Parts: sequence; C-alpha cells; structure tokens
Amino acid sequence: MSLAIETESLVKIYGKKDSGVKALDGISMKVPKAGVYGLFGPNGSGKTTLISILVGLLLPTSGSAKVLGFDAVKDSIEVRRRVGLLPEGFGFYDHMTALENLVFLASLDGIPPDRRRVRALEVLEAVGLKDRANAKVSTFSRGMKQRLGIAQVLLKDPELLIFDEPTVGIDPEGAAEFRSMVRRLNEEGKTILMSTHLLYEVGMICTHAAIIRGGRIMMQGSIEELYRPFRDAKGYSYEIHVKPGSNMPLQEIRLLPEVSEVVQSNDKVVVVAKKDIGGDLFSLVSKSPYREIVESLTPLNPSWEDIYRFYQGGV
Amino acid sequence: MVNALLIAHKEFTDMITSKRLWLIVGLFLLLSVASTYATSFGFRIAGLRVARPMLTIASNLSSTMSYMAPILGVALAFDAISGERERGTLRILLSRPIFREDVINGKIISALVVIGLTITASSLVSISVSILLHNVTVSVDDISRICLFIVFSIVFSFAYYALSLFISTLFSRSSYSLISGIGIWIFFAFILPIASSLVATVLLGPPPTIPLFNRTQGGQFGNMSLPESYVSYYRKVSEISSAIQTVSINHHYSQIVNPLFGAAISIGPAGSRVERTLDVPTIISSHAIDLIVLIIFPIIFLVASYMVFTRRQEK
Repeated sequence: MSLAIETESLVKIYGKKDSGVKALDGISMKVPKAGVYGLFGPNGSGKTTLISILVGLLLPTSGSAKVLGFDAVKDSIEVRRRVGLLPEGFGFYDHMTALENLVFLASLDGIPPDRRRVRALEVLEAVGLKDRANAKVSTFSRGMKQRLGIAQVLLKDPELLIFDEPTVGIDPEGAAEFRSMVRRLNEEGKTILMSTHLLYEVGMICTHAAIIRGGRIMMQGSIEELYRPFRDAKGYSYEIHVKPGSNMPLQEIRLLPEVSEVVQSNDKVVVVAKKDIGGDLFSLVSKSPYREIVESLTPLNPSWEDIYRFYQGGV
Repeated sequence: MVNALLIAHKEFTDMITSKRLWLIVGLFLLLSVASTYATSFGFRIAGLRVARPMLTIASNLSSTMSYMAPILGVALAFDAISGERERGTLRILLSRPIFREDVINGKIISALVVIGLTITASSLVSISVSILLHNVTVSVDDISRICLFIVFSIVFSFAYYALSLFISTLFSRSSYSLISGIGIWIFFAFILPIASSLVATVLLGPPPTIPLFNRTQGGQFGNMSLPESYVSYYRKVSEISSAIQTVSINHHYSQIVNPLFGAAISIGPAGSRVERTLDVPTIISSHAIDLIVLIIFPIIFLVASYMVFTRRQEK
C-alpha cells in the first residue's frame, strides 16, 4: 500500500517537557494514497496539532512524520509545495477581492506571474465562485468563504489535501456541497485527510478513518476494518424487507449457524448473528418460499456513535 | 527573498490605500502648517523679526513630528502579525511553501518604504506650504538640516514600528498590541519627562530661593544673573532627568533634532544664557550617542521580533 502520510510515535508537548500539556501521545498513523482519510475525535483530542505538525506549522517534541515521502520537519517547504491545507478558523484579506486574494496566494505558491490570474479563475470556477471573482471577500457569506478556502487549497494542484474541521459553522447545504466536492476531488485521484468531530461525516465520505482521543489513536484503518471488531463483539445485523402483508417463515433463519436473534416487525425482519452469515442468508432468501416474498436483504452498518463508544471501551 | 518582496508589495498596497495612513498624514499636515502659521502670526503681532525663519518653520514641524512619527510607526505595526493571527490569514500564508522570515521581512520592507515616503512627503509638503505662506528664503544649510531631520524622523518612526512589531508578534489580539504600543508612546512622550523631573527634585530636595529681581548695573533686564546655587540646582535636575530619560527613544530623538533648528542654549559661569546655532557636523559629533541609540533601538526590537516570530509555532 502506497502511503501519503506516515507518522511514527509522534509526541507533542506544549510548554516544558516534564510539566507541559501533552497534546499528542505517540501517534503512529498511516494514510494511504488516493483515499479519503477521516481523522475523528472530540474537541481537544489533538487533531489540529497533528495536522499542524504534518505541514510544518508546529514542531513535534519527538517522533517522526513523513508526508508524500518528505520529512515534515526537515523538508517542510517541500511538503507545503505539494500539500494544500485548509486550516481551522482560516481567513482572507477582507478588503481584497476573491481574485486578488487568490492571485496573491498563487504568487506565494510559486505559480508563474502569467499563470496566476488564469489559475485563480480556474479554481474559482471549480468551487462555483467565478461570478464573484471581483467581489470583496468582506461581502461573502460563511459558506462562500469556505468555498474560497477550498479554492486556495486547489491553487497549486496539490497531491494531498488536508482539511481541518472543514464543515464547522457552515449550514447543512454548504456541508453537503463540501462533501460532494471532496468526493469529486477523490475521484480525480487526490488524497484527502479530513479532521472532524462530527461522526456522521466520517461514515459519509471517508474510505479510511482514525479515531483519536487524548492525543492517542484508538483505532485506524479502512471503514470495513473499523466495523469488524465491533461486529465481532456485538454481532452482525441484517435487514430483510418483505412484501407488505407477507408472512415470513422465520424458523429456517433461526436455524442458521450463530444466529442469535431474529425479530420481525411489519414488513421488516432484523437478523443478528455472532459471525458474518451474509452468504448463508442470501442463499436462503434466494430460495422458495422466501424468494417470492423478500424484496431486499441488506447488511446493517453500526452507527458511528456505536463504533465510537465501542472503541472508547464503552457499550 | 522573492517571497518577502511579494509580501512587501501586497503590504505596501494595503498600507498606502488604508484610511489609517491618510488620516495620520492629514493630521500631521494640518498640525504642522497650523503651528507654523500660528508662530509666524505671533511674531508679526509682537513685531519681532526672526533671523532664520526657515528654522522656525522647521522647528514647528519637528515638534509636530515628535508626536506624529511614533503614532505612524505604531499604526503601521500594531496589527502586522497579531492582525494576521486574528483574521486567520497567518495560517493560510504559512501553509504556502515560504519561510516564516519571508512574512516578517515583507512586513518590514514595506513599512520602511511607507514610513520613508510618508515622512519625506509630509515634511516637504508642510515646509513648502509654510514657505509659500510666509514667503521665506531657504539656504543650503537649511536644506541640509531639513534633510537630516527627515532621516532622523524616519529612523525615529521606524523605531516605534520595530517596538510595536515586537509587541504584535507577542500578542494574538491587535487591540492588546495597539494599547501596549500607544501606552509605551505615552509613557516615553509624556509620563517619563514629568516623572524624571519629579524624581530629580525629590532626590535633590526643594530648589534654593532666589530674590525676585537681581538687576545688574545699568538696569538691563536682559542681563539678569541668577545665583550660582540656583543654577547649579537646576543643572543637577536637568542632569538627573536626562539620565533617567536615556531609556526613552523620544529623548534621544529630541536631543539630536532640537539643535538642528533651535539655538543651543547653555548657561554661562555667572548664570547667563549663551545662545548659538550649532553647525551640522558639531551637532552630529556632540550627539553621536543619541544617534547611535536612535539606530540601535529599532535594530534590537527587529531582532527580538525575528526571534519571537520565527520560533513561535502556529497551531
């Protein structure tokens, strides 16, 4: 697996080493290329500190971090040449227009003078702000500023995009727009690392995720890998939809190996098993008499709240 | 260096289009022309002739400058770094492939240019208006004194810029930085001179009493002589006050600028006043220490700003 980010025992202590605040406590993280990696954790869990170290805004107390093959401390300029960052609580020069802001930032990104304006207009178009290119940023709504924030990330056409709490403070419509933009960028082959404290966002757009708490990574991997330990402990759930008014025979389902619970309510049957019986269940409902009454069979994903509680050592 | 110049260019544009700068320039021109006009009007009412009217005009300008130059320096610097932090633009800037030094270098270069242009242009406009109003002739010596005054004033204003920039690197809120900058200016310009005299009089005790009139032979008021004890007392007060004020950049600026346009007044052995206009080389050689302090002061604060800003980590 080719990695975009790899950290090894990252520690960050604010203040003195012996008496300071430990924001990161030995973070080892692997972010695969071309995925959408969600960094989930509550406020103060160390997400922003970790991101700041990755782009060279902060120095780690110990440990190492490689971003796109470059050392985040020694080669931070090279890292920033290739990584686009949307920091939390970012801002723009309000007295300047969106285009002026982007042309200025493009100049710092090393884009040649004759390309800056063209590139700025391209990214404004990509985020749907081209018609507001010459409007002052002070006239922008929060959602528009957010889109402008994404535009500034795209200026240098980075291999890796890092978004720190990107949907905080924007309305649901703006958040949905953002998520579809992330999906589009990921389809174009970009690697995306996104921190969030909103669980549902992880489930909605991430291919991989890490749960961070108290400066430690509690669990990381692909979404399936995160589900598996939960399911192994709590069981696998499946939902069978039946035609309205049908009487579903449940006996054969109950006899399947490791099935612990079968509950029917109206046109829905929920099956819980101690192991993955998706294949067996599918074979069963494909046969008569089930075939005639079953409309769909879906494995049920656990909610992210349950997953989070599970990795916290809770319920 | 290219990145520093890019930032300097943007900062320069921001500064010269800011209302803040034009307000200071307008106030400076208004005060300097008004004070020159008032002085000249006063002389005419009293029927006095001034030997070198150009120096009187410039002297008024210097007293206005002693207040406006620090304000200009503080106004340009108080939000230089803290404002970027507050707006969230610093993180956007630092996420580009640039060095932190580029940001502070760009700010300093642009400020130096703006301070230089503002003080030179304001001084020249003010002097030109006064010359036209009073129809005075200007000698080569006058021009050399005015040029030196402009250079010293630029350094003086830049000293306050450097001090305020240092404060701005320390704070995350511009309001704190502004209050601190203005507070230091008030302390140096108003509080310290009064406090230093007060300390001197407390240390030396009350002044010796003198007779109301002490006419010399011939009844000339102009040749009044003061008792030696009285002269000695006030010489000591002046020495102590001066010693205390050596911590003030305003004091060193006044020490070197005042002799350029005013008659040097010394007290003779018998307490008589000796007045003479010093030539420029004498002024510079006799106030070399003041000149050195005027130059070293901004250097110290620029170095301190560098150290704080480049070492401070931005989360």
